[in-house]
Amino acid sequence: MSNNIKTQVVVLGAGPGGYSAAFRAADLGLEVVLVESRATLGGVCLNVGCIPSKALLHVAKVIDDAAAMASHGVTFGKPEIDLDKIRGWKEEVIGQLTGGLGGMSKARKVKTVTGVGSFTSDKTIDVEGSDGKTTITFDNAIIACGSSVIDLPFIPNDDPRVIDSTGALELKDVPEEMLVLGGGIIGLEMGTVYSALGSNVSVVEFADQLVPAADKDIVKIYNNYNKKKFNIMLSTKVVAVEAKDDGLYVTFEGKKAPAEQVRYDKILVAVGRKPNGHLVAADKAGVNVDERGFINVSKEMRTNVPHIFAIGDVVGQPMLAHKAVHEAHCAAEVISGKKHEFDPRCIPSIAYTDPEMAWVGVTEREAKEQGLNIEVANFPWAASGRAIASARTEGKTKMIFEKETGRVLGGAIVGINAGEMLGEICLAVEMGADAEDVGLTIHAHPTLNESIGLAAEIFEGSITDLPNAKAVKKKK
Amino acid sequence: MSNEKILVPDVGGEEVEIIEICAAVGDALEADEGIVSVETDKASMDIPAPFAGTLTSLSVSVGDKIKEGDVIGEICATGEAVAEKAPVAEAAPVVQTAIEAPVAEVIAPAPVAVASAVIEVAVPDIGEEGEVDVIDVLISAGDAIEEEDGLITLETDKATMDVPSTHTGTVKEVFINVGDKVKQGSLVITLETSNGAPVDMPVTKAASKPAPVAAPAKVAPTTAPVSSPVPHHPQSGTSSKGAIYSSPSIRRIAREFGVDLTLVKGTGNKDRILKEDVQSYVKYELSRPKANAGSSVAAGEGGLQVISAKQIDFSKFGEIETKSLSRIQKISGPFLHRNWVTIPHVTQFDEADITNVEAFRKEQNVVCEKQKLGFKITPLVFILKAAADALRAFPTFNSSLSEDGESLILKKYIHIGVAVDTPNGLVVPVVRDVDKKGIHQLSRELLEISMKARDGKLKAADMQGGCFTISSLGGIGGTAFTPIVNAPEVAILGVSKSEMKPKWNGKEFEPKLMLPLSMSYDHRVIDGALAARFTVHLAGVMSDIRKLVL
Repeated sequence: MSNNIKTQVVVLGAGPGGYSAAFRAADLGLEVVLVESRATLGGVCLNVGCIPSKALLHVAKVIDDAAAMASHGVTFGKPEIDLDKIRGWKEEVIGQLTGGLGGMSKARKVKTVTGVGSFTSDKTIDVEGSDGKTTITFDNAIIACGSSVIDLPFIPNDDPRVIDSTGALELKDVPEEMLVLGGGIIGLEMGTVYSALGSNVSVVEFADQLVPAADKDIVKIYNNYNKKKFNIMLSTKVVAVEAKDDGLYVTFEGKKAPAEQVRYDKILVAVGRKPNGHLVAADKAGVNVDERGFINVSKEMRTNVPHIFAIGDVVGQPMLAHKAVHEAHCAAEVISGKKHEFDPRCIPSIAYTDPEMAWVGVTEREAKEQGLNIEVANFPWAASGRAIASARTEGKTKMIFEKETGRVLGGAIVGINAGEMLGEICLAVEMGADAEDVGLTIHAHPTLNESIGLAAEIFEGSITDLPNAKAVKKKK
Repeated sequence: MSNEKILVPDVGGEEVEIIEICAAVGDALEADEGIVSVETDKASMDIPAPFAGTLTSLSVSVGDKIKEGDVIGEICATGEAVAEKAPVAEAAPVVQTAIEAPVAEVIAPAPVAVASAVIEVAVPDIGEEGEVDVIDVLISAGDAIEEEDGLITLETDKATMDVPSTHTGTVKEVFINVGDKVKQGSLVITLETSNGAPVDMPVTKAASKPAPVAAPAKVAPTTAPVSSPVPHHPQSGTSSKGAIYSSPSIRRIAREFGVDLTLVKGTGNKDRILKEDVQSYVKYELSRPKANAGSSVAAGEGGLQVISAKQIDFSKFGEIETKSLSRIQKISGPFLHRNWVTIPHVTQFDEADITNVEAFRKEQNVVCEKQKLGFKITPLVFILKAAADALRAFPTFNSSLSEDGESLILKKYIHIGVAVDTPNGLVVPVVRDVDKKGIHQLSRELLEISMKARDGKLKAADMQGGCFTISSLGGIGGTAFTPIVNAPEVAILGVSKSEMKPKWNGKEFEPKLMLPLSMSYDHRVIDGALAARFTVHLAGVMSDIRKLVL
């Protein structure tokens, strides 16, 4: 059976970028068709990424918090883990969100075509679905085909004991010994889950720092807190994995490499994601895709073919859902005739680990590289009443100001709920707020969030919750 | 004794920019002697001393914007100045030791160890003939600088180079802007040197040449970038790219209008750029005549899609010389261009029989000479009178189109501009109430304004309020030309050289002195038939000036 559809806008991929583009375009009065290979909308993020991992991290946090209460006078029994039930709950979370998207899609009269779409010309896309082929003729297209995990060649990827983030989220079992290959955000988040469920987790990272994008001082706090939880091997790489019946035998090389092969029950490969630019036959539409699979776009999100746009992971780093959503809105608005551009001052990054690490704007290292004249204000959570009362004083809030103007250029937070607090710094950067603005904004007490205002007061020299280095020196 | 404040007189409305400082503190000035030159949208003019006296202070410098009522300095009436030494102190307050000294002694080098002194730093020998461009100014007033610190960056044919400071100290004043042209000896800054400064420094130099004196004038006149004849939108001084202080919503609105936010001055708290600032910037940009008319047309602005002119290297074909346009040309060029492209022009040609009026004029000139009236009656005066009569008869010609193009503004007065060729360029002084004045009075006034025009002494008010313009090339030659309407006027009369021609009177050819008239008009306001009637009326009056008294 063959089907022909004509539409003003076709969106290829229904991840956060794709569905946002489709919905925004529909809300701007355009006729939209959304092509998605999965049965449900939401892409990696909702189905096998951000959302299910947060459900499992919630489980991990409750387990860890309950255990930590023993030293404060409340002792729980050893948790009984019912993996099927946890998995069921996780599926429920996904179902609720993807179902919601399906409903919203219908309400907006966005037509969804399920199947793998690929360009056949700069005006047509063929979608191979389970019930046959659909040919879509479009005026404008938005490529939102996302990214996929990078496989490593020297690893027996077919072995069921080698998993990627998707496999980790399936939660088939809780391995006794687990190796996380890659100390980035995804690896650490999944390591946190499996550690809480009972695995012994080792993390191997080629760089000399976990989460290399974040500032060293932030990650150091994370490392210190997790010294006992993870066996962290920095500046170390895996050179061989030998699959035997009783486990995967891994050979390491580098600074922290164990001399002998080490046996693991499972290996989680989390070394990054690669763009899917080569998977949609973009060349047939004349769209340039670089050798790595990225599609270059203008600030309007246009590819080299003016009526074909691209958004999300496939157009470049950072591969983050919230970046994709804003790019999506931009592309849809440009198609509808608005003169918009994707031009943010900052894109926030968050590791939902324990403690969380969150940063936005310039990092201290970037500021140095760019030769910016900055002043950094660190507020240690040891001085935060709320952190002390939560028995989580390891955190800190760091604000990065332009020295001359006090303008907020960036910030980083490590500690519980860091991610939830980052929004204020994002807003400050976008609005061009300065330390005085932030410091004079009354933050509720006692909150972790007030640490942002207090960091600004450190810069301003008006801090009273800490010794004030900028206090007026009294004559003796 | 009293120090009188020197106030800016009526300079014709808007703020005007100072293009030259003509007097220095301490100068003895005659009444009406120019102190500073300003540039209005019509011409440049001097702001004169209100009475004879000594200039005791000057609070403006080149590039400043001033308006009616502003104080530019102080003057002390002649005879009082000598006794008064306080102004010197005011002018150079840092030279504490010099103040007490009698003026005469100040002139000698003062080999005293002063705590601090103000010295001048000038452009050294840069190994370059002529002037070079300043491409960067590295310091600003108030900066503390070390000896050898770069002050400004120059770009010569060969390289860019920094002009270093000769001493350590604090920058008092900067006389150079980016885009200026400088040469060896041009004043760059005045520097307040710190302790132990050069003891052999002639104090005179410091004391008698404080702040904005003649030196900057040397530098400024050739600089074009600031001489835009349009209202100046306050530019944000410090903002650099990437440090724009505005929220995402403002950046979006700016993008939609194509506004470069680095050019917008924020009026919000801490100079934050607000939506209103973007709006007013857009309004300003739309209302402003395109200063670089040529390039804006090339860029297709203002709805004109014109391909840009090709760059041609004329020196390939022979020797050339590049001469910059005169100031008046630079100012009037964009206005002429705007008028030419925005007004649909039609030029009506006609001839007036001036045989009789010329005979009458010559008779009267003999009388004038006998009576020693001090002026001659020119043909132009009769044309003025005839034009005034025609304007009265055809009020449409004495009008302006309203801004929205929906209505005509009819004027009940008759002021006529007369184009005058001066050594500096073309100016158009206005003769007021032409209809109410007689031939003699008009002759006298014409003589006065043309003298003033040639001497560059016309005031802005002298060039405002015209209803109609006459451009006479009759003294030079030519048979006809197509003048450009001087907006917001709607018509202009061009006059060429009169010529004796045979005219058929019904029986025979008669020699008649014929004056060629070329009248350009705004076709949006005036249609062809009306234009023909106007020139016929005008020619009729010229051929028999008795009609003027009808």
